[in-house]
Amino acid sequence: MDKLFLTQEIGSLAKPAWRVKAYRGEPLTEKEIAEAVNWGLRLGIENIEELVKILTNRERTAEEKKMLLQWSARYAIRFFEAAGLDIVFDGEQWRSEMYEHVIRSVDGFKFLGYVKSFDYRYFNKAACIGKPKYIKPFYVEEFIFTKKSTKRIIKVPFTGPYTLVDWTFNEYYEKKAGSQIRDFKQRKASARRDFLFDLIKEVVRPEIGKLIEAGAEWIQIDEPAATTNPSAEEMQLFVEAFSETVKGFNCTFSLHNCYSNYEVLAKYASQLRNCSQLALEFANRDSRQTGLADEARTGYKELKFFEDYGFRGNYGLGVIDVHTDFIEPPELVRDRILHAVRVIGDPSRIYVSTDCGLRTRTWEVSFAKLKNMVLGAELARKALR
Amino acid sequence: MRNKTPKLVTYMIGCYVTGIFPRPKELIETTRAYERKRVSEKLLEKALQEATVKVIEAQVSAGLSYVMDGMLKWQDLLRPFAESLEGLNVGSLARWFNNNTFYRKPVVLGAIRRTKNIAAEITYMELLPKSIPWKAVLPAPYTFAKLSENKFYKSEGELMFAYAEILNEEIKSLAEKGFKYIQLSDPALVWNPFEKPISKDTLAQVQEALKTALKGVKARTCLQAFFGDFSQILPEALEFPVNDLGIDLYETSLEKLKGYDFNKGVALGVVDARSSLVEDENELVQVAREIIEAIFPSKTRDVFICPNCDLEFLPWERAEEKLRIISSVAKRLKSEWNIHG
Repeated sequence: MDKLFLTQEIGSLAKPAWRVKAYRGEPLTEKEIAEAVNWGLRLGIENIEELVKILTNRERTAEEKKMLLQWSARYAIRFFEAAGLDIVFDGEQWRSEMYEHVIRSVDGFKFLGYVKSFDYRYFNKAACIGKPKYIKPFYVEEFIFTKKSTKRIIKVPFTGPYTLVDWTFNEYYEKKAGSQIRDFKQRKASARRDFLFDLIKEVVRPEIGKLIEAGAEWIQIDEPAATTNPSAEEMQLFVEAFSETVKGFNCTFSLHNCYSNYEVLAKYASQLRNCSQLALEFANRDSRQTGLADEARTGYKELKFFEDYGFRGNYGLGVIDVHTDFIEPPELVRDRILHAVRVIGDPSRIYVSTDCGLRTRTWEVSFAKLKNMVLGAELARKALR
Repeated sequence: MRNKTPKLVTYMIGCYVTGIFPRPKELIETTRAYERKRVSEKLLEKALQEATVKVIEAQVSAGLSYVMDGMLKWQDLLRPFAESLEGLNVGSLARWFNNNTFYRKPVVLGAIRRTKNIAAEITYMELLPKSIPWKAVLPAPYTFAKLSENKFYKSEGELMFAYAEILNEEIKSLAEKGFKYIQLSDPALVWNPFEKPISKDTLAQVQEALKTALKGVKARTCLQAFFGDFSQILPEALEFPVNDLGIDLYETSLEKLKGYDFNKGVALGVVDARSSLVEDENELVQVAREIIEAIFPSKTRDVFICPNCDLEFLPWERAEEKLRIISSVAKRLKSEWNIHG
């Protein structure tokens, strides 16, 4: 029988200070260099002295900067392997951020500056000012490097088109629709649709095609914006966008969505074509008591909605909260998994996952969390034997 | 031309903004540095003041009929209340309607009580010009109750009325300080993604709460309903005890709107604060004129040209451009009506 409860992370891992500062061309402190060495030794990375040489250089060539990306990717891959994950990637070490990385690689966009996210936090928002045009691959090189660096299963995180559209001003299409549609509301809706499907056709699908050509077998579409607008019309649009994105490709696709409205998502999840796994967050809303009963597993209530609405694919079950430094004990991870088994009935549909990417945690905390996640999965396997 | 007496124009066409402004670039930088503990509170305060001056100047030079301080200190529409009212705590982040923007949920843990002037205290009144009347924006009772997490009152309705009492004191304190126009922002009333009909009961309650909130208020008032279709609350909204009704034209079906006879002033949100595309002035003039002619079949009332919602969703430069559009649309309508009216 295949191994149950394969373990995975969602995508991002914090970028070490040495990677960030050296890439920016800033000098490093001894402590930062020591961190690179220590983690390198801990992870069994070879030829660390080559990295140290780059880090201690006053100036770094473009080639050396590229090597820095590779070094931090190598570290991240080894990090996940050492923690014991079955499914890995490079912690998105090549990407500046999930949104900007893509938008900056595509034609037809212009960053307008920072807009408020909340409090004193902002995000750099772009406007679509021309038909999106694919100019170069943006995930392929990173994928090829990862593929060369690991023998484990690879899952490529891919920022989804619905989210890219939702986070972008839509000047080009709204202007275009302006001459045709009088009603402002209808005009915006139509322009949004056109933007979304052009982006899928012109940019997203070509990139997926190239990833598959390079050997990608599993792509995870990240759509944090999926239920931002929970209306039936918008959710249908989201479903349609997913189907259009993955249509006809010979590859496994999954969906990650977080901090969202799962009551709404659950209604539409079963309509997602060719979506082998839904990676969802639950741990952050759950109690820290062990136990399988509903009273202990308060965070997993919504899992049932997905089942009730007929989703029959796999789950990437979030058992690790990525927003606290609390290290989930293996027994807690085990009980979260076993509770989900009770709800779903079929253990083979459960993959064990973090709630979201670990980018906001330190490597120390992330490593401890992941190790316990792996141990917890093993305990759950034992319990079912 | 002697036999053609000009009709007496009994209404005005004005323009203003409807809420929180985006922070100008320099202020964003300072707030980010403040978050990283790299600048002091004092420097942050100085940056806030300088940016407020900029926001006010932009409104003055655009020629708006009322001027606001821009609410740059407001982290979200509810925050000053969540922070200052007794009985409330500032809760966790929640999505601000269908935006990629978040607010902190006020958590109601006890009877809510007002112990000081809240809005007046964080508004830069000393920076507002004396020559132009002042406008203030506050959360409407329904939106406040709907967006709070109520752990104390028996019902949302009860919370709404408790807040309406407080709001009444708040508004009176602002009017006393010299504010001539009070807008109550009520997005929750019309944001209705699941298209559930809004019950007559709810609307009757909202009307009662507004009555409580506005009792004895000596200022012009407006209920600004955005992020949803205004026609859902018609005709009931025509009975609300406010002077003007604010409509988000990017969410409201224009055809449905045209079927009503408005007996109040309107604030027409013809500029889209959630899109960076700068609108075509000619088109806006035409659309505004059509709506005005349709919703005032018998007697034209006052009209304010405004953005559909807070400008905070835009980068500063775009917000500034949109200010100019608002003002020129109002000017053109004014001149057209004076000629033809």
